[in-house]
Amino acid sequence: MIIVIIPAFNEGKRVGDVVQSSLAHCDRVIVVDDGSTDDTAAVARRAGAEVISHSQNLGAGAATMTGIEAARRMRASVAVTIDADGQHSAEEIPLFLAPIKEGRADIVFANRFSRKNVIPLIRRLYNAVGNLITFLVSGLWVNDSQCGFKAFGPIALQDLDIRMSGFEFCTEIVREARQHRWRIIEVPTKVVYSEYTLAKGQSFANGVKTALKILLRSFLR
Amino acid sequence: MPLTPYQIVVPIVCIILIVYAWNLALRKKKTILETLFWTMFWGLIAVIAFWPHVASYLSVLTGIADQENAASVTFIGILFFMVFYLIMRLEELEQRHAKLVREVALQRNDHHENNSSH
Repeated sequence: MIIVIIPAFNEGKRVGDVVQSSLAHCDRVIVVDDGSTDDTAAVARRAGAEVISHSQNLGAGAATMTGIEAARRMRASVAVTIDADGQHSAEEIPLFLAPIKEGRADIVFANRFSRKNVIPLIRRLYNAVGNLITFLVSGLWVNDSQCGFKAFGPIALQDLDIRMSGFEFCTEIVREARQHRWRIIEVPTKVVYSEYTLAKGQSFANGVKTALKILLRSFLR
Repeated sequence: MPLTPYQIVVPIVCIILIVYAWNLALRKKKTILETLFWTMFWGLIAVIAFWPHVASYLSVLTGIADQENAASVTFIGILFFMVFYLIMRLEELEQRHAKLVREVALQRNDHHENNSSH
């Protein structure tokens, strides 16, 4: 069974479209409503997703782990995570599933930088810093470590344990991949940055906070 | 060279902590990079305890030349450790909180699924 996990926080405007376009490529869609104060849960449910609601906002990492745990309980064999703001194209889900189905990968990362995408300079900078920090704490270089679009094969789905609640979880997943020696494949993907997605994205202050948390937590584990 | 109890106890504690760090690394709970960092850190403490004159090289580097300075730095170090310990505890509590909210959400979902299937 293939399950798409969509962690969402106040994404009522976009999550419906993401659910509908994802449903064409999987068996079930789980939306983890991370304590939203808008109609995210209702919109997602109407679009055909199963909604799991956090009573409080915990962060993208915690929401993703809730989705992973739900997928395990539903006996999923493959899980795909995708952002709720519509910046990724669900039409590309089959590209992520192919290496897993062919037995070539345990985890598939997106790579927004190996295709001609219009990515703002500040975003490129954030990602470069994110990649560097990720490499320092994990010892593994991933070209687009901070992207939320990923696919987990049966082994990765079983073993994954995300402890970081916020955006640091992307780095933690790379670290898990290294520690568990999962086979990794990176897939070029397209990304669409709109005013909406840019406004929802991380600020500079958040980026610094995330970087510090990653460095701190890497010594706590 | 007569050894003081300090010169015996501190290196033993450091060796135990280094073995513990490598044990975590072997159980894949720490990366090799972090383990090397802690090995160097505790190794340096052990070396300074065993050969105190090594600290004189450090005094050139850090400017800690007299005992008063050394005492201040030691207390700052203790405070640093306490803050570090508090952050660790906060992290642990945050993780427990996340697990609790997750479990409630998943159980509520299971309950909802069971009700809709009946």
